Parts: sequence; C-alpha cells; structure tokens
Amino acid sequence: MEHDPSVGTDRARPRSDTPARGHRLLAHTADAGLEAWAPDAGALFEEAALALSDISADIEPGTAATAREAVAIEAPDAEGLVFAWLNELIGLIDVRGAAITGAGVALARLEDRPLVRATVRLAPFDGRRVRRRSDIKSATYHRLAVRRVRDGWSLVAYLDI
Amino acid sequence: MKAEGPASGPAVQLERIDDQTWRIARDASRGMRVEGLVFASDRLMSTLRGDPALQQVANVATLPGIVHASLAMPDVHWGYGFPIGGVAAMRVDGGVISPGGIGFDINCGVRLLRTDLSAADIAPLKARLADTLFRSVPSGVGASTGRRLSSRDLDEVLADGAAWAVRAGHGWSEDLARTEEGGALAGADPGEVSKRARERGSNQLGTLGSGNHFLEVQAVDRIDDAAAAAAFGLEEGQAVVMVHCGSRGLGHQVCTDHLTVMDRATAAAGIELPDRQLACAPLGTPDAAAYLGAMAAAANFAWANRQMIADAIRRAFADVFQRPAEQLGMHQVYDLSHNIAKFEQHLVDGQPADVCVHRKGATRAFPPGHPDVPEAYRAVGQPVLVPGDMGRCSYIATGAPGSMLRSFGSSCHGAGRNLSRHAATRELRGVDIAAQLRALGIEIRAERRDLLAEEASLAYKDVEEVVAVSRDAGLIRPVARLRPLVVVKG
Repeated sequence: MEHDPSVGTDRARPRSDTPARGHRLLAHTADAGLEAWAPDAGALFEEAALALSDISADIEPGTAATAREAVAIEAPDAEGLVFAWLNELIGLIDVRGAAITGAGVALARLEDRPLVRATVRLAPFDGRRVRRRSDIKSATYHRLAVRRVRDGWSLVAYLDI
Repeated sequence: MKAEGPASGPAVQLERIDDQTWRIARDASRGMRVEGLVFASDRLMSTLRGDPALQQVANVATLPGIVHASLAMPDVHWGYGFPIGGVAAMRVDGGVISPGGIGFDINCGVRLLRTDLSAADIAPLKARLADTLFRSVPSGVGASTGRRLSSRDLDEVLADGAAWAVRAGHGWSEDLARTEEGGALAGADPGEVSKRARERGSNQLGTLGSGNHFLEVQAVDRIDDAAAAAAFGLEEGQAVVMVHCGSRGLGHQVCTDHLTVMDRATAAAGIELPDRQLACAPLGTPDAAAYLGAMAAAANFAWANRQMIADAIRRAFADVFQRPAEQLGMHQVYDLSHNIAKFEQHLVDGQPADVCVHRKGATRAFPPGHPDVPEAYRAVGQPVLVPGDMGRCSYIATGAPGSMLRSFGSSCHGAGRNLSRHAATRELRGVDIAAQLRALGIEIRAERRDLLAEEASLAYKDVEEVVAVSRDAGLIRPVARLRPLVVVKG
C-alpha cells in the first residue's frame, strides 16, 4: 500500500505550491482517483475532464479534436453535479468511441441550483495517436468531495475501473 | 500516468476470534448495527491493517436491516462504498438494497469449460491457439463486436440472458443447467435500462473488456478432491478454459443511473450513511424494485455475454484442433456471478429468514445437498471458481457446509488486489512481463502489452493463501488447482 499524508488530511486542498489550476491522479488499490483545482467552477470542470482523459486514454500531444458534444447537466448539490459530469464524459467515451481531449465550460455553478453547460471535445480512438488506456466503468460517490479553497475550488473523485 | 498514493483512514480496531476470523466490534465505528467479521490469516491481515477496506466493512454494518454481520472474504480489498470481497444480508422486511453492494460491473463472473485435451496436446499449438482466441474474442478497452444488437434483440437478451444466446445458436442447451440461475435472473425489467445503457452495451455482447478481465487456457495441475473432480469432469493434466468478465458498459451504466436515484431515495427515507456510495432504498419501495429489475436485466446481459464468449472459444478450439467442440469434450463445468444481489433463505439467529444477500466480489458457495446446486453436482456441492493471477494459478472448489453457517453461503471470488495499478507499474518499470510469462511456459496476447504490469502477479495477493483461509474457515473445499497455459488480456 502507498500512503500520501497530504491526501489523508485534507484531500481536496491543493498544496500551496501548486498553480492556480491543475489536476493530479490519485491511486486506489482497485481503481483510480482524481483531484482537480481551479479559481472558478468552470475551470474546475475543465480540469476534471482533463484528469479523466489522462486516466482513460493516451493522446499524442497536438492531437486535434474532430467532434464536439454539447452537455448540460443539473444536480441537487455540488458533489452530485461532479458525479453526473464525470459520468456523462465516461458515457460519451463509450458511445462515441472517442477520447476526451478537453472541455470548454460556458456556464458552471456549484452553489444554489448547481449546473454545468459545456462543449466536450473528442478525438476518435485510432490505435496510434489516440489510444485507449482504461475502461472506466463509472465515477463513484466514494470520498467524492467538492470544496471551496483559498484560491477557488477543488474536487476529489474516485472512478471504478 | 502519475498518481498520488491512496488515503488511509484511522486503523479500525480488530479482535481476533480464531485462526481465520477477526471481529470489528459494533462500537468500533459510529452507527454500526451489527459487528464486522473478516476472514483472514495473519499473513493476509498484515497487508490489510490500515487499509480503507476495513473501515468499509464497518460502514456496511450501518445499513438498515443488515443481519448477523458485515462480512469480508479473505480476498477483501478497498472498494467504493462496499469493500471488494464484501457480503451483507438484509432482511426483506425492513432492509435495503444498495447498488454499491453489487458494484458497477453487475454479474461480473467466471465461466469454466472443460476439454478432453491435455496440456501436452495444447503445447505444440499454444501460439496458434493464443492467436486464434485473441482474434475470436474481442478484448481490450472499449472492445466491441462491430455490430449492434437491434432494440428487440437487446430486450430479449435482457429478459432471457444466456438462453437468448443458446437459442441464437451460440452454445449448447446443457450449458444453461450448469449456469447459476440457469443463466437468467428472474424479475428482469428491460424497461428500467436507460437509453444510454443500451447505447453502451448494444455492440459489446460477446466481448471480454479490459482491466482484470481475461480468458485463460489452463492445465489441471493438482487434484485435491477426487470425487468432486470426477463430478466436474476434471482430471490431472487436462486442459480447461476459464473466462472472467461481466456486463460491460450496459451494466456499468445501469448501476450509475440507479445510484443517482438511490442517492435521492436515501435522503427521502431519512437514512444516514457514512459513505454516499452506500446509497440505498428500502426493499419493497418503487426505487428498490426499479433497481432490482434493471440489475436482473444487466445480470442477464452478462450471462449472455459469457455464453457468446464460450461459443467463440469452442469455435476457436475447433478451428485449431480441426475437430468439432463436441468431439473435444468442451462441456461447461459452471458459470457463476460474483457481483450480484439475490433473495435467499438463511438461518438468522437460528431461525430461517428471507434475506437479500449482497455479494460484491464474493462468490455463492452452496454446500452439497442444497437445492440450488445443479442436480449433477448436488452430491459434491456448487462449483466455486477462484481465479488467481495470470502468472500463478487459479482454483476450482466446492461450497462447504460452513458457508451456510458463517457467510450466507458465500466465499472468496479471486486473489484480490494487493497493489494499485500505478504502484504495480512503478514496481515493475522496465520489466517485460510477456517475456517473464513466456519463460514460465505461458503464452500471452494483450491489446496493450505496455499495460500488462498493472495486472502482474505482484499486484495480487497469493490465491493459495486466500483459498487456504476459505477452506480452513469451512467456506469451501478445494477440488483442483489450475495453472495458466495461454492468457488473453484486454
């Protein structure tokens, strides 16, 4: 087993020396987790999409998206919105046979009727520049956390692989 | 891909009961309604202490209607909500159904086919057999058959399970009698399977998938119980084929969809949970009925999936050995689920009670004489298929009487992971896993050879230890040990 004390104490808080927005992956014995942080809700969802892409695909740098998908999701709370957002992306990967190369969030709200409206960018798996890495079954509610931090927002989510 | 290490919570207090059993007392964690019981040896426990799985055993004990104990099989490891290797039984009257207690891969399970071939027969054709199986059974991340089922066919798959595949010419009718639930769980409601779930699954029937899913040609390298082995048609030196996979994207989406509903149902019922992934609904409510109907439909998809794969395996063997599968004696030994909820009758406080048994990474292990054991096996007990890892061995066992007394007729489902994918990859950086396996006489085919380290032996507990603890706890009786000859990984 690996142990990362920073994860155990305040999992959703980025370290003080991290940039204003970013993401990293978290290990899990059977599965995988992700942490994202950003100054605003829209960038937070974009970073979460990039983290999910890192787990699910290997994409050569410079690969352009060839498809776009509009997504609009509402949920009763912030964690529920992240759960729904990640699962929408996971479903798109399966159904479109394509990797997520990024997302552009037009509107995102984490408090007071949480919602996200975005365009998801996709590149089809071709076995060369865009290769499948992990079949993600679903995002989970396990240790799912969305928090306000000093410089914006952060989230932690675990995925079933 | 870089990843930070997992979080470990405060250690859960354990009390030793005997050589194979540990107790988590009811006061170990807030809200526990029953105690936790963990089946483990000293060696297995040494890797479990401090693992979040033990807190998850305690968390499951908070679910309404749980009876006797929240149980952890010897292969238990950190899951989400329930631990993997978790078993919990809820009273039908006053209990709940929790999709997290079944998992996203509904009816993930194992199928074993026997053959009349020996390992010596396989040896000269091993590479060709590996290539043919790899071509015949689509595998890997996002594997698809390249053709979509019609909506009508998909409805029939969801309702009829493996029987649909047999009707369509993909298997033998005798296969159904040697499949848990006859390959179709009653109560399936295709109407509760969403459009997205149908989209994800309609081109995946007959595919293996990725991760820890596999297809292996194995050799019986030791017989532990001659009478049971004879009943299963097994003898030393014989070649068999084991398949491990589940309900693919369809089942994953069913769980995701209904988890969202359950999340609201939990709040509506005023149920407080230590982990939102334990979201549940009281049995008998419309939300519970909707999930159970969808779960059964997804389970049936998984049984049809393994049936299609078994058919492709038989065809591949017929092609390589130039004889029909019937002449190769490729009868199915058994097919079982290790991610499912079932309504069963068990003794609770000495009295028969109707309960909903959640098995999440746990195998049903009914003993000799149980009416749900296929007639051909009733004298020896239900076959229990325990895959190990691709470099060591797997087991076939039978359910033992102790399982009905101690674990609601359940046992281990595999070796159980010991290391995360990232940790395994880091430990094995620069190691050619395929070459290592070939040195052991194992021919491997994989879609992503560069990811094989994630599934290497190092990442798993020793299945020998897991099976020994299950045996010593009285849950199973080992019948035969199986050694891999050919491995097909996603």
